[in-house]
Amino acid sequence: MKPGIGTLAILGVAVVTAAVIGVMSGIIIRTHQGALVAQLTRSADQLSETIASSTYYDMLENRRDAVHREMVTIGRQQGIEKVRLFNGVGTIMFSSDEGEIGRGLDKKAEACYACHAAGRPLQRLPIHARSRIYRAPDGHRVLGMIRPIHNERSCWEAPCHAHTREETVLGVLDVNLSMTAADGQIAHDRRQLILLAVLAIAASSALLWALSRQLILRPVAALIAGTRRVAQGDLSTSIPATARHELGDLARAFNDMTRRLNEAQRQLAQADKLASVGRLAAGVAHEINNPLTGVLTYASFLEKRAVDDAETRADLGVIVRETKRCREIVRGLLDFARQTPPRRQSADLNEVVRRAASIVTNQLALARVRIDLELAADLAPVPVDANQIQQVIVNLLLNAADAIAGDGASPGGSIRVRTSSVAVPPRGNVTIRAAKCPKGCDLLDGSVRLAGMPTVRVVRRATDCEAVVHLDPVYGRANHRASEPCEEGVLAAYLCPSCRTRLDLLERRCAECGAPMFAVQVTGQGQAEWCTRKGCPGSRWEAMDALGPQPYAQIVVEDTGRGITPEEMDRLFEPFFTTKGTRGTGLGLAVTWGIVEGHGGSIGVESEPGKGTRFTVRLPFRVPEPGAESGGADVAQRIPMPDARGTPGPGPVAPDPGGKT
Amino acid sequence: MTRTCDVLVVDDEPVVADAIRLVLGHAGLAITTCPDAESALAHPALDDCRLVICDLMLPGQSGLEAIQAMRARRPTLPIVVITGYATPTHEEMVLAAGATAFLPKPFDDSELLNLVRHALAQTDVAGEERRS
Repeated sequence: MKPGIGTLAILGVAVVTAAVIGVMSGIIIRTHQGALVAQLTRSADQLSETIASSTYYDMLENRRDAVHREMVTIGRQQGIEKVRLFNGVGTIMFSSDEGEIGRGLDKKAEACYACHAAGRPLQRLPIHARSRIYRAPDGHRVLGMIRPIHNERSCWEAPCHAHTREETVLGVLDVNLSMTAADGQIAHDRRQLILLAVLAIAASSALLWALSRQLILRPVAALIAGTRRVAQGDLSTSIPATARHELGDLARAFNDMTRRLNEAQRQLAQADKLASVGRLAAGVAHEINNPLTGVLTYASFLEKRAVDDAETRADLGVIVRETKRCREIVRGLLDFARQTPPRRQSADLNEVVRRAASIVTNQLALARVRIDLELAADLAPVPVDANQIQQVIVNLLLNAADAIAGDGASPGGSIRVRTSSVAVPPRGNVTIRAAKCPKGCDLLDGSVRLAGMPTVRVVRRATDCEAVVHLDPVYGRANHRASEPCEEGVLAAYLCPSCRTRLDLLERRCAECGAPMFAVQVTGQGQAEWCTRKGCPGSRWEAMDALGPQPYAQIVVEDTGRGITPEEMDRLFEPFFTTKGTRGTGLGLAVTWGIVEGHGGSIGVESEPGKGTRFTVRLPFRVPEPGAESGGADVAQRIPMPDARGTPGPGPVAPDPGGKT
Repeated sequence: MTRTCDVLVVDDEPVVADAIRLVLGHAGLAITTCPDAESALAHPALDDCRLVICDLMLPGQSGLEAIQAMRARRPTLPIVVITGYATPTHEEMVLAAGATAFLPKPFDDSELLNLVRHALAQTDVAGEERRS
C-alpha cells in the first residue's frame, strides 16, 4: 500500500521535531552539566581554602598530629573522597587515606599534571586549571582540586625551621570530591529531558495526525468516494462542503460540477423523451389519420345526401364534428411535438369556453361533476388561436374533473369557470424574456427555470462569498436561487458571468433600503434593476412601470377536487409528470403551459389539498411585440423544464381577479 | 370519346381509396385505384387520366418517387398529394417534387371535391389554351 499524505506529513514532522528537540535537549544537558561541575568546583575550592586556613597554625607550630586529625575528620564527611597534602617533591605528608602517607607522587600523576605539564611548576593557577575530573578505580567520577601552599615569612621563621626562605611552594593541598551525586542528578535530568522530548514528538505527531485526518484525509476521502460515485454514474451525489479552507472550495466546486452534469443529463433525458413523444405522435398521426379519412369522408358525404331526414342529418353532423375534433387533437399532438406558434385570430373567449365546456359535458356528467359558467358579458374579442385556447380549457376542465372524481366512485363536485377582463400591473406579472449585460452577453439561462421560465444569471460577489445567482424573471418577485448562501443584509457586487462586467449602478438607489442597484438590459424594454443588498426585495423596471397596468382576458377554472400537494405543485407543468397513473400522459398541463406561454400569457395555480384548486389563465388583449416575446419559436425555451437542483418550480402565482393595482 | 379513367388514386389504405371513389364517383368522375406506386406507374390509366391523387407513405416505392416518375411522364398532369403526416416541411418537399396540391388527411368530402374540381378546371383551361 502506498503511504498516504497524512503518513508522509506525520513522518516528516516527526523527524524535524525529533531533530529540533534532540539538539535542544543536548544543549540543555550540556549547560546543566557545566553548571553542576562549576558549582562542585567552587565547593571544592572553598573546602580546600577552609582546610588550608584551619590547618595554618598547626602547620606553623608543627603540630603534625593535629593536621593529620583534621584531614581525617574532614575526609570522612559525605561526598568527600579524600583530602591530602604533599610536599614540594611530591611526598604525601598527610592524607585522609592513611595508607598512602609517605608515598611519593610522580610529577606526571594526574594530580600534578595541571602545574607540571609545561615542565616547571606554575605557582598561580586559575580555579578551572586547578581542578580536574578523573575516574576512580570503581568507575565513578571524582573532582580533584589542588591548592598550592606558598611560602611566607612566618613559615621560614617558624621555630621548627622546616622550610627555608628560598622555597616558593611548600606543598600542595589536594581535595577530592565524589561526583556521584552530581552525575546522578545529571543522569536523572537527561532521562527526564529524553522522556519529555519523546512525549513532545508523540504529542505533535498525534496532533498532526488528528488535524490532517480532520482537515485533509476526511475531505479528500469524501472527494475520492464522490468522484468514484460520479464515475459509476451516480450524478445525484454530493459531498459535505462545510470546510472554510481550500478543500472546502474544492468540495463546493465538485458539488457544483456534479450538479451541472446532473442537470445537463436530466435535460438530455428530457429532450430524448420529447423526441420520442414526437416520433410516437408522428406514428400515431399517420395510423389514425387514415381511418379518420374514411370516417370523415363517408360521414360528410352522407350528411349532404340525407336531405330528407333531419334527424339522421343531425346525427351525421355530430360524427363529422367529432371526427374533425379528433383531427384537431392529432394535429395538436403533432403541434406539441413541434411546438408551433399560435395562429391568432380575433376570437370571442366566452364562445371558446362554451365550446370547451360542451365537449366535456358528458364526461363531467359521468363523474357527477357540475359545471357553472360565469362569463363576462362585455368581454372584448381576444387575439388568440381559438383551437389552442379551447384545448387549454378542455385540459383544465378534464384535470378538474379528475381531481374531483379520483380513482374510485366519484363523490361529485363542481367546477366554476369565470371569464373577465382585468388590468394587470407589471409588478408581479411581467416576465423578463431577454436580458443582456452592458457588453451584450446573454444573461438569460434556460437551464435553470422558475415556473418554467428561464432565469437571469448573474454573479454575486461579497467579501467572503461568491455565488451564481439565478434571478426570478418575474418583475417584483424575489424568488431568486443562489449557488452559495450569503450573509443576509450584506452589500454585494454583481457581475456578468461571462465578461465579469460590473452591473452595479452607484447612482441608482433602492427605494426600500437606499443601497445601490444593479441592472440588466432588457431588449427594447429599458433595464430591469434589483437592490444589491442581499435579502432586500427592492426592484425597479421603469419601462414597465411607465407602461402601467395592461389589459388581459382572464379565465379562472376552480374545482372542489382533492387539491395539489406542494410537492406536486413543484412539478405540475413538467412534461410527463402525472398524478393520474396510467390514465394520464403527463402532457396536458405541459401543453397548456406551452400554449399560454406561446400567447404571451400567464398561467397560475393556487391549491389547498382537500379543498380544491384554482387555475388562472391570462391572455393579453394586445399581441406582444415580436421582440418582447423572445424565443417564441424556440422549442427548447418553450418547453417547461424542471427546475435545476429539484428546487421548487412554478410557485403559485396569486391570481388577481379584481385587477387591483 | 369517353375516358376509362378521370382520376387515378394511389393509396394502400382501402378505406381511403373507397372513400375517394365514393365522393368523386358521385361527382361523375371515373376512378381507378392502385395500392402502391409500382402498380400505378405500370397502369395504362396513368397515360390517360386527368388527375392523380397519391398518398405519400406507400409500401415499396415512396409517394415522392412516384410523383417524380409521373411528372417525368406527364409534365402537365395535376397531382394531388394526400398524407396523414402533414408538416410544412413535407408540403414544401412534395410541391418541389412536382405535385400540384397538398391535402392533409383526414379531409371531408367537400374539401376533397373542391380541390379536385379546382385542379381539373386549371388543366382544362390549360388544355383549351394549348388547343387554341
